[in-house]
Amino acid sequence: MEHARHVFRAIILLVVVVAVVSIGRGFLVPKSYGLHGAYRHDNVKEQMEVRAPRHGGAAACAACHAAEAEKRAAGAHKTVNCEVCHGPVSRHAADGKRIAAADVDRSYLLCARCHRKVLARPEKFPQVVLEQHVKDMGADGPVEGKICLDCHHPHSPTP
Amino acid sequence: MDPKTPTCPPPSAASEGAPDGQASRRDFLQGALRLASGAFVLFSGGALAAGLPKPGAPGEGYDWSEHRYAYLIDTQKCIGCGSCARACTAENDVPEGFFRTWIERYAVSTEDSHVDSPNGGKDGFPPLQVGFEVTKSFFVPKICNHCKETPCIQVCPVGASYRTKDGAVLVDGERCIGCGYCVQACPYGSRFILPETHTASKCTWCYHRITKGLKPGCVEACPTGARMFGDMKRDGDPVRHTIEHDRVAILQGHLLTEPQCFYLHLDKEVR
Repeated sequence: MEHARHVFRAIILLVVVVAVVSIGRGFLVPKSYGLHGAYRHDNVKEQMEVRAPRHGGAAACAACHAAEAEKRAAGAHKTVNCEVCHGPVSRHAADGKRIAAADVDRSYLLCARCHRKVLARPEKFPQVVLEQHVKDMGADGPVEGKICLDCHHPHSPTP
Repeated sequence: MDPKTPTCPPPSAASEGAPDGQASRRDFLQGALRLASGAFVLFSGGALAAGLPKPGAPGEGYDWSEHRYAYLIDTQKCIGCGSCARACTAENDVPEGFFRTWIERYAVSTEDSHVDSPNGGKDGFPPLQVGFEVTKSFFVPKICNHCKETPCIQVCPVGASYRTKDGAVLVDGERCIGCGYCVQACPYGSRFILPETHTASKCTWCYHRITKGLKPGCVEACPTGARMFGDMKRDGDPVRHTIEHDRVAILQGHLLTEPQCFYLHLDKEVR
């Protein structure tokens, strides 16, 4: 046994290294790491619950605004979701109660974003050369100051 | 005295083993090494098994192995209104100046082409003047392609980027060290570093929505149906049907990243 002493030292050292590595690993590596690949699996659940959905869709709006929803669904804007213009429902209502006004951009941009004549838009999509339209209506001044909503009703628009 | 073996007994004695039943040095060393390596496996394996929860679905009421999502964009339907990008910002708190999705406008002639995307298309597009005669012009919505063989995951040094079983490429903000390798690795420019947390961020296909059976915010907002979202594992899914039966294109196919965003009516100019 006299000759084996240095071997025992090596074994003790090995055991200490193994213990330090395995204990250190337990602290440093997240619990769910490696379950389904080289990532922390718990994050999948965190991503699922990162926040409640904010856009509720047209049905969520119709729960309170049935008349407006019907009007929209029957008109040319039936494919345009309420929240496209009014913003996400979560800003406006919570638990079925109104918490804030749904802010609408009432400037000409509300309509111009979709209907201003731009070359890249599909040809068949209804488009207006704004400058010409203002002139045709007998108005003057720049397009920027005009408000389409004075004449056009976005819930059931007519050309 | 033999200078090569000053203190040890002759080699023959060691290899034969001690006659009185005690282990020789060689046997002892071999045994010790086997024992040590065995103990190491036992230790590390035991530590792993003790700390691990059972592998399975990520959340209650949702089985991610039953879904594999895909995204479909019909560029002919896009009117460049920017509703998708605005909805994305509202749904995901994307900071000003950064984009999880955006719209590009192409103006093309046989000789020349021009691409622009003012504020990612969030405010719509003004009429465009370019220095050549445009023969065709169109919008192309862009988004993370959620590639099957994605370089962004391959380059991540800390395992913060990963692909879920249902097909979404996500970033674990807790693990991310903000090195930005993935931002450079993505050939589609889909990733960015969040200014507040200094971690990588990107489109998640609104993972908090799709796992509840809802559509991503951008698809929900699109007024013309240019953006579509579907499930390749669901029978009768219209997006699945289109991808399976129609002529669909992907972006930068030569890079072999296997994008899961498919395009209808894509022009050769689009990268």
